[in-house]
Amino acid sequence: MISERGRVPVEEGKMTKTGKPGINRRTTLALMGAGAFTVASPWVARAQAKTIKIGMPTILSGRVAQLGTSSRNAVMLEVEKVNAAGGLAGRQIEMVVRDSKGQPQEAARIARELVNTDGCEIILDGEASSGSFAVHEVARDIGVLCIHTCSEASSLTADPKQHIPNAFRCVRQGIHDSIAGGSYAANIAKAKGLKKWATCSPDYAYGRDTTAEFVTYLKHFAPDVEIISENWPKLFQPDYTETVTKILQAKPQALYSALWGGDLTSYIDQANIYAMFTQMEVFAVNMADYTALTVVKNLPKGIHSGNRYIKTYPATAENAAWGDAYKAKYKEYPTNWSWQNATAVMFLSEAAKKANSTDGKKLAEVLTGLTIKCPFGADGTVTMRGEDRTLVGYAIGWGTTIPNEPYVPEVKSGDWKQIFALEAEWKKSKGYT
Amino acid sequence: MSELNVENRAGAVPYVARPRRAAAIDVVAAVVAFAILAALPFLFDSKALLDFVIRCAAFGLFATSLNLLVGYTGLISFGHGMFFGLGAYGFGLLMQRANVSIPVAMVCTLAITAVAAVVIGAICVRLKEIYFAFVTLAFQMLIHSVILSWQSLTGGDQGLRGGIKRPVFWGIDLTNHVQLYIFSCALLVIGLLLMRQIAQSPFGYTLRMIRDNATRASFIGINVWRAKLTVFVLAALFASAGGMIMSLFVSGAYPEFAYWTISGEGIFINMLGGVTTFLGPMVGTVILLILNDTATRLTEHYGLVLGIVILFFALGLRKGLMDFAVDWYRAWRDKAKEQS
Repeated sequence: MISERGRVPVEEGKMTKTGKPGINRRTTLALMGAGAFTVASPWVARAQAKTIKIGMPTILSGRVAQLGTSSRNAVMLEVEKVNAAGGLAGRQIEMVVRDSKGQPQEAARIARELVNTDGCEIILDGEASSGSFAVHEVARDIGVLCIHTCSEASSLTADPKQHIPNAFRCVRQGIHDSIAGGSYAANIAKAKGLKKWATCSPDYAYGRDTTAEFVTYLKHFAPDVEIISENWPKLFQPDYTETVTKILQAKPQALYSALWGGDLTSYIDQANIYAMFTQMEVFAVNMADYTALTVVKNLPKGIHSGNRYIKTYPATAENAAWGDAYKAKYKEYPTNWSWQNATAVMFLSEAAKKANSTDGKKLAEVLTGLTIKCPFGADGTVTMRGEDRTLVGYAIGWGTTIPNEPYVPEVKSGDWKQIFALEAEWKKSKGYT
Repeated sequence: MSELNVENRAGAVPYVARPRRAAAIDVVAAVVAFAILAALPFLFDSKALLDFVIRCAAFGLFATSLNLLVGYTGLISFGHGMFFGLGAYGFGLLMQRANVSIPVAMVCTLAITAVAAVVIGAICVRLKEIYFAFVTLAFQMLIHSVILSWQSLTGGDQGLRGGIKRPVFWGIDLTNHVQLYIFSCALLVIGLLLMRQIAQSPFGYTLRMIRDNATRASFIGINVWRAKLTVFVLAALFASAGGMIMSLFVSGAYPEFAYWTISGEGIFINMLGGVTTFLGPMVGTVILLILNDTATRLTEHYGLVLGIVILFFALGLRKGLMDFAVDWYRAWRDKAKEQS
């Protein structure tokens, strides 16, 4: 039996043998502990300082490559600020951005690879349309914290089937734009007596849904309006002559279009030849984005447009500074996708501060219902609405174009109370609530 | 039909009634391949590897089935992707709406694909060469347009939303990643084994004869139209199985699965791997997916890399990798014989 002090007890009267003064159990344990600490301390230090990887599947090639590049630019701009300020709960952010080529199966594969192989702990989903739904399913499957930053499809968060506690959407929505646009257009229609309307939107879900919703709310606010011509050119169609002439023949008083990007600029350039913009009021929801404003050869005066991104709306110093900083760094203007992605990083940064953690579950809990200061907010703040984990309170408005900067000098703000009320009705009508 | 003196483009031997031993060897090879694949999750702790093999299973079945048309029958289909898409959508919709078990949904999807393939094939296989290619492409675009337009059923360009349920069947839980992997491997191996038996059967040699000389085949009493239609439908079924694996992998179905680019990838896979050997498309699938995954990691100019590789194979090599492998093996064997 070994005594507590590590000495062997000897019987009385016998030669006393003192145990060799050596290392007893406590000392052994203490030394082992110290040794373990010495060996482990670099690892502990490294773990604490370990960077946090954020993965981003997006579209960096093909016709909508600008979606991915301008999203990535904005993310990097914000990540640099967060890292300079100490990182995400003390961990420096490392972005891993991959090109999905706009293919949903690639988006899903890349999202899985980013988490499973590259060790990304958060996904910023810079996918559009079907790609975002594919990434959403990956988030559902593997439980990673995911923030959608480009998909405007309302059903992504409005449909309760899509609700998962770890997925958020930091993007404007078609339904919000349609309500704000319908209200704005109805006021103009009433003031100018615009009763005969035509529509011209791309022939896919976004174009058809947004147009239907705009018409619904236009008629809601101005019941006299009548749609006399509907036109659905194909997405990425190069020649709009047939559509333009058909609309001119119908002689509407106003035209609504949900065309975007290159399609919108091609359409305007071609319609300019027929002097379309002098013959009717044109409402193009996606006009007020630098991607369109700066590309059109002769931007007509007086096109009504929803704001996508312009640095003069909201007319705050913070927004102007952000737009200028982006332009100074990347030698081009930011896009609508840019502000959405930047906002997602702002949300993450604020959530990590509040949670004092980068754990996905804790971040998700804090993100739900979180309001942050933001240059792109209607009142200087934006909110990640708790009930459907989607962005609300962002600057939304309509104005008319001029050919040069600031392109849309006066923007009339949409009313978020009205948007919330009509959005709730819309959700009911769709069976979502 | 014990023997057909078919002049094979690839220099293969004429058909001789296949001994049962050859079929048994195929079965043994399939069991060994499945055993190796099934062991991978226990040897390597890599979810990415499992994802890679699942995708290989989906595209491998699709590309090999396309080779039944291209390589064995000489029918260059530019629209084979429609059956891949049909499989993904059919299976996804049945799982979402019909509340049936996975095996039932799979069988029903195969039945739907078969009906569609009979209708489309009956029109297409009457045509030759470029006309066949373009009409298959036209049907593919028709199906793609229907998927986009029929929003209430298919979700339009946003695809099938809400995920695909994977209820447990026969003790198999496909929500478990490893079980989904093994299930996909099983489908791949069974699919390849069945296609191998078709390719090596008298019917398979009939297809080769039609490819090499359809007129001659009809003169000896073969109903060329029926044979072409049969292989068109069979190929569609295997492509559909590939689509089902893909829909399970991404837990959804998207219009891109039925777009012409999927057919283009199938053709490219066949070019990469070679069409004169049975496993050529499978090898091509592995190469393309490695190329895709590596290029996507390293560069944003994926299209440029892929374009250069296509040019290299089309203008430089003019053969698939397996074709070269077979040529090298034959040369080595002949040399060894001469030396002995």
